[in-house]
Amino acid sequence: MYGWQEVEGRPLTDAELIEAARGGDVSAYEELVRRYQDLAYRTAFLVVRDAEEARDAAQEGFLSAHRALGRFRVGADFRPWLLRIVANAARNRRRSATRRAALALRAGRDPASGDAAPSPEAALLAAEQRATLMAAINSLREDDQLVIGLRWFAELGEAEMAEVLGRPRGTVKSRLSRAMARLREVLERLEEDLSDG
Amino acid sequence: MADQHLSPLEMRLAELSAFIDVPAAPPLASAVADRLRAEAGLRPSWRWPLPSVGRGTALAVAATLLLVSAVAAIGIALGGLRLIFNPESLPPLPSIPNQPGIGQQTTLDAARSSVGFVLRVPTVSALGEPDQVYVMEPPAGGAVTLVYGARPGYPLQPDRMYGLVLTQFRADIQAENFEKLIMEGVRITHTNVHGLPAYWVAGGEHFFFYRDATGQIVNTTLRLVGDTLIWEEDGVTHRVEGAPSLQAAIAVAESLEPAPSGE
Repeated sequence: MYGWQEVEGRPLTDAELIEAARGGDVSAYEELVRRYQDLAYRTAFLVVRDAEEARDAAQEGFLSAHRALGRFRVGADFRPWLLRIVANAARNRRRSATRRAALALRAGRDPASGDAAPSPEAALLAAEQRATLMAAINSLREDDQLVIGLRWFAELGEAEMAEVLGRPRGTVKSRLSRAMARLREVLERLEEDLSDG
Repeated sequence: MADQHLSPLEMRLAELSAFIDVPAAPPLASAVADRLRAEAGLRPSWRWPLPSVGRGTALAVAATLLLVSAVAAIGIALGGLRLIFNPESLPPLPSIPNQPGIGQQTTLDAARSSVGFVLRVPTVSALGEPDQVYVMEPPAGGAVTLVYGARPGYPLQPDRMYGLVLTQFRADIQAENFEKLIMEGVRITHTNVHGLPAYWVAGGEHFFFYRDATGQIVNTTLRLVGDTLIWEEDGVTHRVEGAPSLQAAIAVAESLEPAPSGE
């Protein structure tokens, strides 16, 4: 089932897999899904903020993309094209969702385990700073949270964000800039309050 | 993500990313592949339970097919759009360019500035600029109709005075629902535009109206005579009418780009 991963010792390119999938090879498309499922799911999660909705949106996006493969432009980049379709599926679910959970920090230890262990005091301070930043993000309006999340937590570039949001690149750039300015303002206020308290 | 030009806030956000609680991605590849094999009539490779992907869409399509033969007028929803099936005869109406129901004629630039959504125009080379532009309000946010005369690949048909018509309006506003009346004999094909659910309504007469917040029909004058592709994107419902085929309609739909400023 993994025969599409390599040919002559190298992984198949997206274009090769797409060509095979267009010809009806499901295993080729399965490999494409495997390549992008983490990013697609993370992007969908940032839009819908619900694990099950994100799973359904990502899967729906992959199925829709498969149906649309015949219209995929040869030579184009598959990743932003796919992300746009997944994001459309997620946005449709987001619109009908009754509520969305706030973004939260992962419980447990610092995932950067390769670094030298910080002192208990430094670790506590870093955790407090992260919690404050998380609170500041969650206090922003949803549009601002989404654009910041896509940029920094899905690590999308401006062009990909434009695809995901269905907006011109310039519009996305200015939206991100304004969202960052509002975040900076809220964060400074929160940190002033904490230092005063 | 490493970038020597990151601001302090950007560095904090980049660092925070590793701590964000995003659940691990489920094994989508096998689930998608099994679904595709099932649709193709092939035996699934193995067993991941299929979640409710596309449930609403599937139900809508099933309902569409069933309702075509319904005796009474019954509706289903597609975003802010409702498809209504009505077996009764409708009086004939004149063609679009003579109809006041599509609003005031204006320019593309004025239309772009006056509506409450991002107006988009087709970028397929055969169409070029629209010959006529109309704006109408209500609905809240406005509706824009772009009318194209005959073009290569978009000839005038005997029963209409245009090559192609593209209409856009806000349709995610609950207070106002656009509705589409469809006569018996209409064929509906489920398709997609950039992966979004879309419907190709072909082969019969249908016309278009909307309701106000009280449910009253306030305008039934807009007659549409061409085969129509309908989909909703970013809260805006789009209709492409008069394309010679579904493929041509999708090509127009997927070519849409924000209307450039004329300034």
